[in-house]
Amino acid sequence: MILMQILRQTRMEALEKARAMGPDAVLALLEKKGLEGRGGAAFSTARKWRGCRDAPSDERFVVCNADEGEPGTFKDKFIIRHNAETMIEGMLIAAYVVGAKRCFIYLRGEYECLRPRLQQQIDDVLARARMDGVAVEIVRGAGAYVCGEATALLQSIQGFRGTAMYKPPNPTTCGLWGKPTVINNVETLACAAQAVLFDDWDPSLRLFSLSGNIKNPGVYEFPLGVKMSTIIDVARPARKLKAMSFGCFGGIMPVDEGMAVTPEAICIERCQHGTYSIILIDEGNNVVDVACSIAKFYAYESCGKCTPCREGTIRILNLLKKIRDGKGVKKDLQVLCELATHVQETALCGLGQTCGNHVLTSIQHFPEDYDYCLKKNRENIGEGKGKK
Amino acid sequence: MMEKGKKGGRLLMNILHEAQEKHGYISEHMLKQISIDQGIPIARLYGVVKFYTMFHTEPQGRYVIEFCGSPSCVLNDGTRLEKFLEQELKAKVGATTKDGMFTLYKTSCIGCCDEAPAMLVNGEPHTRLTVEKLTALLQKLQAAQGGKKPQKK
Repeated sequence: MILMQILRQTRMEALEKARAMGPDAVLALLEKKGLEGRGGAAFSTARKWRGCRDAPSDERFVVCNADEGEPGTFKDKFIIRHNAETMIEGMLIAAYVVGAKRCFIYLRGEYECLRPRLQQQIDDVLARARMDGVAVEIVRGAGAYVCGEATALLQSIQGFRGTAMYKPPNPTTCGLWGKPTVINNVETLACAAQAVLFDDWDPSLRLFSLSGNIKNPGVYEFPLGVKMSTIIDVARPARKLKAMSFGCFGGIMPVDEGMAVTPEAICIERCQHGTYSIILIDEGNNVVDVACSIAKFYAYESCGKCTPCREGTIRILNLLKKIRDGKGVKKDLQVLCELATHVQETALCGLGQTCGNHVLTSIQHFPEDYDYCLKKNRENIGEGKGKK
Repeated sequence: MMEKGKKGGRLLMNILHEAQEKHGYISEHMLKQISIDQGIPIARLYGVVKFYTMFHTEPQGRYVIEFCGSPSCVLNDGTRLEKFLEQELKAKVGATTKDGMFTLYKTSCIGCCDEAPAMLVNGEPHTRLTVEKLTALLQKLQAAQGGKKPQKK
């Protein structure tokens, strides 16, 4: 028995089966199996591919988004390391279905060490696939988180600054060089090949990246709806857990052992599941510190194109730092909430639209941690250290 | 936009990476050459290079250290180790040591959260860092100075 579904290899059989079935049958099959994008948005893969296939054009492209920059996420690295062939095969199936001749893998700069082997595997798979005129190229990223966003990623491949663009038009109909382009995550493409080939492929399994204050961090596979207690059992925290953060953008919520991990359950707490990367935080930490490090990340990674995000992320960081350092007052919390909501509502792309999540959720769920920091200030003033 | 080999040609990101590999940074001279070869105005090229944190327009230390500042690393003692590195190298984040050996950067997540705290040295990940490990690594790299050069000059 294979322990993880994602590691099952398709050994070119999926591509062969897809070719025998024809593009329309492949789309119908993926639709029936319910394959959804694994990059966070959970959009139907079959619909995306069909949209690209049906868009009128003489040329189409397939892009594999391997720019996994979300802090706490390392599942794509895991797949590239252990089952890249299946992912490449998934790409070739996508290329076959939509009729693309040129495919790109946008590999983030931080994963440079994976590139030589990946290149070898691409050459190897292409040689075995015998697909006329189809090329797969690695595009080397250079350390910009925002390039994980579809439109920014396309800009980067075309040799521009990786800034987000207005949508519509969607990349599916107007992407690279204005041509229809399919952009899929590493995990999605590997799953696509597996879904085509295996009858017993299970669409409910997701990869979870667990990290933080735990003894067993790593990539695990669980079905949706898994009990939080099961996750904690394998994670083996040293101390009692207090909070969990879904990457940076998903928000911070209390650890509830009885919770079933589904998008809906997470949504109720005003968090987002994203790619199921969970950073577990134990009771030895103050949530304000974590929120601060997340805010730092956003201020650093904002591409600077739209004002709400460029300015807002820095203001959020400064306010959080002020509170953390015991210089905050009660009113700062209110300003922080207003600011975060404002940035979320007016920012251009996913980065800005989610950069307030950690602020809002942490203030909502952990008011005592903020109170603790605010109290420090009151004590300071009381002792006459801060003259006001 | 008038750009030669726009669609069929090589990708600018890869060209820039290869240029940087030669000396560890992209000099003005190199940018001019790329500008001519690719038919891209140098101002636009400069804008691209400056956007991506991994491209450098100034000479870098022989070893570029990128220390991860993501929450997982911070939760696992990352901040203390970063301070230790700064002390040990006598260089602040963003600066190069006087002997030109190390340039220290702080970076967003490098995808090693399961082996936190972690850092990249010239792109190679070093994980589960401790004070002892860092000390040993710095010593090893310094000792290798006389030997083969990894990237620069």
